[in-house]
Amino acid sequence: MRILKLKKLNLFSFLQSLSNGIELWAPVKKDSQTVFQFILPEEINKINLNFTRTLLPPKKLFIPPSFNMFQVTAKGYKEDYSWIKDRILFGLHPCDIHGLLTLDRIFTQNFPDSYYVQARQKTLILGLSCWPDEYCLCQSTHTDIIEEGFDLFFSELGDDYLVWIGSSRGDDLIRIKPEFFEESLGTKDIEKYIEWREKRAQAFKTKINFVFMPDLMELKYNDSVWERAGTACLACGSCSMVCPTCNCYNVRDEILLGDKPGRRVREWDSCTLLEYSLVAGGENFRSKKSSRLKLWYTHKLQAFGSKYGKPSCVGCGRCLVTCPVGINVKSISDSLEGKKVDAFWARFSIEVKP
Amino acid sequence: MEKLKIGIFELTGCAGCALLILDCESQLVDIFSAADIEAFLMAKSDNSDGPVDIALIEGTVTTEEEKEELLAIRRRAGLVIAIGNCACEGGIQAALTASGNWSKEFRQVYKDLKPTNVRPIPSQPIDTFIKVDYYLPGCPIGQEQFLTTFTRLLAGHPPELYRFPVCMECKWRENECLLNKNIACLGPLTKAGCGAVCPSHNLPCVGCWGPAEEANRSAEFKLLLEKGFDPESLQRKMAIYSGTTIVDFFNSLKKERR
Amino acid sequence: MTMKTITIDHLARVEGNGGLMVTIDGQAVTEVKFLINEGPRLIERLSVGKTPEEDVSLVPRICAICTLSHKNAVLRAIENALGVKVPPKVTLLRELMHLGEFIESHSLHLYYLALPDYVGFPNAIAMASRFPLEVKIALEMKQFGNHIMKILSGRFIHGENPVIGGFGRYPTKEELLFIKARAIQFMPFVHKTTEIFCSLPYPDIPEDETIFACCEPGDGEYGLWGEEILISTGEKIHRDDYCKLTNEFLVPHSTAKRSRYQGKTYTVGAQARVNLLGERLKGEAKRMLSRFYNDRWKRNPLFQNAAQAIEIMYCFERIPEVVDEILKYPEDPGIVGYSAKNGQGTGLVEAPRGLLIHHYEIENGRVTYADIITPTAQNAEEIERYCLLAAQKLLEQGKEDLIKDRLELIVRAFDPCISCSTHIVEIKKMDGTLWEDKLKQFKATNPVIIGLGNLSYGDDKAGLVIVQELKAEGLADIYSEEEVVENETFWTEVEGRPILFVDALNFGAEPGRITLVPLTQLLWNSSLTHRLMPTLLSWLSPETIKKAYLLGIQPLSIQNGSLSQPVAQAIEKVVDILKK
Repeated sequence: MRILKLKKLNLFSFLQSLSNGIELWAPVKKDSQTVFQFILPEEINKINLNFTRTLLPPKKLFIPPSFNMFQVTAKGYKEDYSWIKDRILFGLHPCDIHGLLTLDRIFTQNFPDSYYVQARQKTLILGLSCWPDEYCLCQSTHTDIIEEGFDLFFSELGDDYLVWIGSSRGDDLIRIKPEFFEESLGTKDIEKYIEWREKRAQAFKTKINFVFMPDLMELKYNDSVWERAGTACLACGSCSMVCPTCNCYNVRDEILLGDKPGRRVREWDSCTLLEYSLVAGGENFRSKKSSRLKLWYTHKLQAFGSKYGKPSCVGCGRCLVTCPVGINVKSISDSLEGKKVDAFWARFSIEVKP
Repeated sequence: MEKLKIGIFELTGCAGCALLILDCESQLVDIFSAADIEAFLMAKSDNSDGPVDIALIEGTVTTEEEKEELLAIRRRAGLVIAIGNCACEGGIQAALTASGNWSKEFRQVYKDLKPTNVRPIPSQPIDTFIKVDYYLPGCPIGQEQFLTTFTRLLAGHPPELYRFPVCMECKWRENECLLNKNIACLGPLTKAGCGAVCPSHNLPCVGCWGPAEEANRSAEFKLLLEKGFDPESLQRKMAIYSGTTIVDFFNSLKKERR
Repeated sequence: MTMKTITIDHLARVEGNGGLMVTIDGQAVTEVKFLINEGPRLIERLSVGKTPEEDVSLVPRICAICTLSHKNAVLRAIENALGVKVPPKVTLLRELMHLGEFIESHSLHLYYLALPDYVGFPNAIAMASRFPLEVKIALEMKQFGNHIMKILSGRFIHGENPVIGGFGRYPTKEELLFIKARAIQFMPFVHKTTEIFCSLPYPDIPEDETIFACCEPGDGEYGLWGEEILISTGEKIHRDDYCKLTNEFLVPHSTAKRSRYQGKTYTVGAQARVNLLGERLKGEAKRMLSRFYNDRWKRNPLFQNAAQAIEIMYCFERIPEVVDEILKYPEDPGIVGYSAKNGQGTGLVEAPRGLLIHHYEIENGRVTYADIITPTAQNAEEIERYCLLAAQKLLEQGKEDLIKDRLELIVRAFDPCISCSTHIVEIKKMDGTLWEDKLKQFKATNPVIIGLGNLSYGDDKAGLVIVQELKAEGLADIYSEEEVVENETFWTEVEGRPILFVDALNFGAEPGRITLVPLTQLLWNSSLTHRLMPTLLSWLSPETIKKAYLLGIQPLSIQNGSLSQPVAQAIEKVVDILKK
């Protein structure tokens, strides 16, 4: 893998030069949060480089929250790929690239999902290094470093970026502005990089016992944790929506009036919702919130691993910052380990007098 | 194929759900040609009293006369769809029904006078009196949900409505959770379908789509207490669009306090 | 039996569930009732105990079609109460949103609700077969109004985006420029609309002078809100004194929340605005108004339709101006905060169908009192008055079969918003149609009885004869005309009590027929002969006049000296009931 050097002040010009004739998506501030957004060349300064995690993970570009799968008329149906564009997606942190690699296992292997596959093929991934905050768990989940799954990867190093070229398409991008890139890295650069990696590794404050989880899920399958978390769970589905590897969806058929075609709409779904396990005949085999939560966590931390070789949590910390009642990978795994947890769901059963 | 006969009926309310149907401007001609609109008082003067395949009913039952009218509609209708927060849950006016203060409040306004053209009763959702086949929520109903529901009904399919809370749609629109910003947002307690319009306008959900099927009121209530809100104002907020459904929750709170 | 009732149970093509009942006795229309059949929602009571923010969300749900007028009214009232000053950009965006509602509401009313009557179709969609262009204009125009409302309020109906101190989300420049461009594109259609509705063949029954009231927008401008109420008598009333117009000072203690100005009914709405402010219009709206305006616009309520069409023109011309002004403020001002927890304030706006008043009192951050006076509540008395005039006139012309349709036309012209008035359901007694039952009921309220008439003119002495006989029975509270005419003490004493006038009354029935009519309806109706003292209005309060009845006996002749046989028999019947 080739590594080049780019002056920091040339980054925006480089991205701007890429965004000709292709949609550039990059992190942009939305109130106090950051989101991936489509950026026009003249808006390049809107890009926000100082963020830890976006509100939604990049999966929204490959399987949008709600999209039309096909139009249907009396004559037949026609798939709708019109929303899939040639895109460059800049600013993915290692955890999010790991998230995409996890989705690849689901959507491209045994039963390829043509929408995901096309969107994935048409999108170039430009990664960006990051610094952990108190919610980042990616060191515990071994997803803090990325070695594949990107076309270019930018590591911030003082006034420069070290740029990894991860694919021939990435290499093609460099050729658009070769004058920005220095071929040879000096000893100083290498030392600085090693130092940066060590410091970053020290910076992780939050840890979970990720390796122990599959066993613990099995051993504590009937633990009271689930019941207690279930009582406090708002069943709002937010944890799934923000999770980079949650991928369940529902389809709805919209029949339109007159001679207009009908549509099949595909929308994000979540196993934490009541309707998820409802089957024909009205039977719901997970009508309790506690059993749905248990499903979510066992699937993510245990079952996915046995099927695809590694668990599907990438440690991005989004469930930690999103769940209003504090049900998240950290609080649940700590609790299963028998630790005292300071989260609303854990306090809730203790009683807050109205 | 024979066209289905549709009746759109208005009981007590703001007439917003009927108006919203008229607001489907570009589809209106299609609606009127896809089905026989037998009764729609707001839109036409030649209204029939005959049978209808589908009755869409908005508003609460707030007079004895409306109760009788409702029973008559049920008798002549195939399917009955409650449309809007009033018909589904009792709407804003059912807060007085739920609080048990209706008679007191009524006297506050009308003293001892008894109206003779109508005999008022505390506002109730329509399923207090009749079997309702489907519920289309919202204050008022949403255009997209109305059209998808209406067209599915015309094609003989049951409606497919969201059963989850507003938060799902809110996340689809990538809004930051307002509860995490210490704002009393009723999103987790409220049915989705509006497109999370208020949080998308930086405003907390007021709950106008009515309580979600699995609304965890006690968790959100206590969560907000922890964040420093006072119980009285939380109960009031939660009651506004919950109609008569809030009664059980308030009773459970009373029980806990004992 | 000549007593008959025309009833319209459910008025079609109006917003909400209302009805109309007309009672005809011989040649006299004795009663017109504009009925509101919706249940009481007690919205003002629902306001009490809410925070100002909750109130702003809740109260516009009174009515779907005027939702943004209610929103602007409640915002203005509460911001006045709590001393919140919003920046000009917010005010302009609120105006834009209000213009959107006017376009939506007026085009809905004119094309969907009103026009089918004039071209003979049961609804607008059926009308599309013969008037495809008109229906297309209506749909597109209404859609445009809705679009503006959605961009600014967040939704077509009951949007939550406008809040105390500003907006949750401000529209983008692109959204605003789109609105401006669309408004300009629409002008040819707007012209067509104005022409259609200004030149419809509006029938000349009913026509009568009235009083108009609307907001005074100030600065010599046409506008949709203000701090004062302008009345066609020339009087101006400050918003805080709104009760002077609406006479609803007794509010929580009185159910009769209909409004009268100094005892007289008045009209609000497009017709009032165009008559009062029309000279301030500019551009095409001004040109169109001067082309079509004539004296009938002042006298005939059906011209509400024409006036609305002029206003659609006004709105379309105003939108580009407002957008340009908004764009002068590129920064979004956010939401203005406030700390006041106490205060009281009133907000005046023009809803599409007329003057809308919201008044709130706030203590410790909670609404403690709410008073909402809707345009339809103010117009209700006018609707009844004009309906009575029309019914009477048509009856006299022998066109009884036209009454039902004509009255519907009149009611619809006022564009009543029945949900709006529902929170103040007017409770009217439907007393049955027989005078005996009514008289017995009225007798039970222990009324003061006053006989009117002239002893020298035959049957005209009927009222005086009844009074003499009752006095002879030793009953109290019985007076003849001359005893009370200029007697101020007397009127002061009876103020507030039910009063029954008895008199000969020519209502076109067979001699000796008796009718019992609310006094108010005779006061409006110049075609009936009666001799009520012209000063009555100044002696008695409107509430007392509303409670008074007139018992009339159809005379055979008021020429010779003695009572006719049928009238003498009628007198006997009346005395029989009253002496019990």
